[in-house]
Amino acid sequence: MAGKATSTPTTYSPSPTSHKTKVPIFSDDRVRPDGRGFNQCRPAFFRTGAVNAASGSAYAEFGNTKVIVSVFGPRESKKAMKYSDIGRLNCNVSFSTFANLVHREGSDHKEYTTILHKALEGAIMLETFPKTTVDVFALVLESGGSAKLPIICFSISISDNFVMHVVGDLSVVISCASLALADAGIMMYDLVASVSLSCLNKNLVIDPILGEENCEDGGLMITCLPSRYEVTQLTVTGEWSTPMLNEGMQLCLDACAELAKIMRSCLVDAAPGSEE
Amino acid sequence: MVGLSSGEKQFIQGGIAQDLRCDGRKRLTYRPIYVETGVIPQANGSARIRMGATDVIASVKAELGKPSSLQPDKGKVFIHIDCSPTAEPAFEGRGGEELSAELSVALQCCLLGGKSGAGAAIDLSSLVVVEGKNCWDLYIDGLVVSSDGNLLDALGAAIKAALSNTGIPRVQVTADASSDEQPEVDISDEEFLQFDTSAVPVIVTLTKVGRHYIVDATSEEESQMSSAVSISVNRQGHICGITKRGGAGLDPSIILDMISVAKHVSEQLLNKLDSEIAAAEAEVEDDES
Repeated sequence: MAGKATSTPTTYSPSPTSHKTKVPIFSDDRVRPDGRGFNQCRPAFFRTGAVNAASGSAYAEFGNTKVIVSVFGPRESKKAMKYSDIGRLNCNVSFSTFANLVHREGSDHKEYTTILHKALEGAIMLETFPKTTVDVFALVLESGGSAKLPIICFSISISDNFVMHVVGDLSVVISCASLALADAGIMMYDLVASVSLSCLNKNLVIDPILGEENCEDGGLMITCLPSRYEVTQLTVTGEWSTPMLNEGMQLCLDACAELAKIMRSCLVDAAPGSEE
Repeated sequence: MVGLSSGEKQFIQGGIAQDLRCDGRKRLTYRPIYVETGVIPQANGSARIRMGATDVIASVKAELGKPSSLQPDKGKVFIHIDCSPTAEPAFEGRGGEELSAELSVALQCCLLGGKSGAGAAIDLSSLVVVEGKNCWDLYIDGLVVSSDGNLLDALGAAIKAALSNTGIPRVQVTADASSDEQPEVDISDEEFLQFDTSAVPVIVTLTKVGRHYIVDATSEEESQMSSAVSISVNRQGHICGITKRGGAGLDPSIILDMISVAKHVSEQLLNKLDSEIAAAEAEVEDDES
């Protein structure tokens, strides 16, 4: 760019940075806005067989987050697809128009779809259904916001949908999807459990809700196969020191193991003959 | 997609196991990096990075916009990556789209930091002109010109170089507007200010082949990977973002090991990249004078 080279390059800062005091999100010591402790997950509820038409389906409720996932197939891959000796996994994540506080037209959630796909494909035995496709469709009925929070979003301009929002919803979607796959009888190495965590002023807060995520310094989402103790998907944003990250990962893995127990008991309850 | 015979596959895997790769590198050695800055005159800043046959261009454009009502004291940064079918026929149509989306999301995750702005490559509050009224929108666009593996690291480096090359016009607020109106601003076409790019992290992708992992994989080596972890590390040695590619599971202890290796490698990469960027910038200034 011509004429740009000034003799002393100054740092770009047109307005003096005002140091505002942040409103602390935690009023009392180690109690979160919804009354949980820092290392406490939201109560999880799962139920399989929510959709009759699907080969398998599951409904999950984590606090205010409500998600429904249906699995169709395995069915014949589309004619246009090339021959494949392993099965294909097709995922889709969508949000209902009333999922957020602000009404939004069903926007594209490609990034969620890719993460869901990557999180699940490592767990499914794709070689057990060659030439066919399994469809996993997830719908977020309600996103994890809570109206009681100090930070309430009134309006969002259209242009800021680039923000990677509500990672917490995604971990619910992933866990719920693996339960739906199990309900459909798709062969898997293990259930997939996913937990997210936020780092707020050097505090690690597990299973964050919308208001907490909005002011986090760092976010972490782990998807793992709890019985095999393997991580299939890992996303970290924000600034982390290594000891902090280690601690965060360990917290998430422990929470995943707990979550898997709940998921497994849901499957056992749904199994025919369990009532006896 | 790379078509390899089983003999070639074995050769690649065996070489990596013995710490001697096909092009003579060790597992944790990068290919030579070539940096050129100021390659696109229409942009506010641009850079081209070449690592072996991988060739990418990043450009930064700044436009005056309106801050979002949720974050009135912050500017906006958009990252978009384009994979041109000229680089590889597989990039045509949906194949390219998927890869573009994956790379864009990974870069956003590695460079934009947390919601509060911690660990971000660019301090978003420095982009504000008048709080709640005017801010700079930075459009960071990457283009894959030629692809031979390790696109994410190359794009991250190109964005870092492009940001060091970026000049934002100085803005003077001429009339202080009352509460509702947009303030009048005067954009200087002579005075340009530069970013503080010391906080921009580098991305190190560790590709796991067999039981070992390598940096800067070529596309042949990438075709043999089971999974890859991309870790962005800044000057302070803090982790600014991690994404994982490939469906295969990894043991948590391996991930922690990868993180410590990435921190070690990133130091060398940062030094190398900074000196290359400085050399490229000096060359641009020589041409101008």
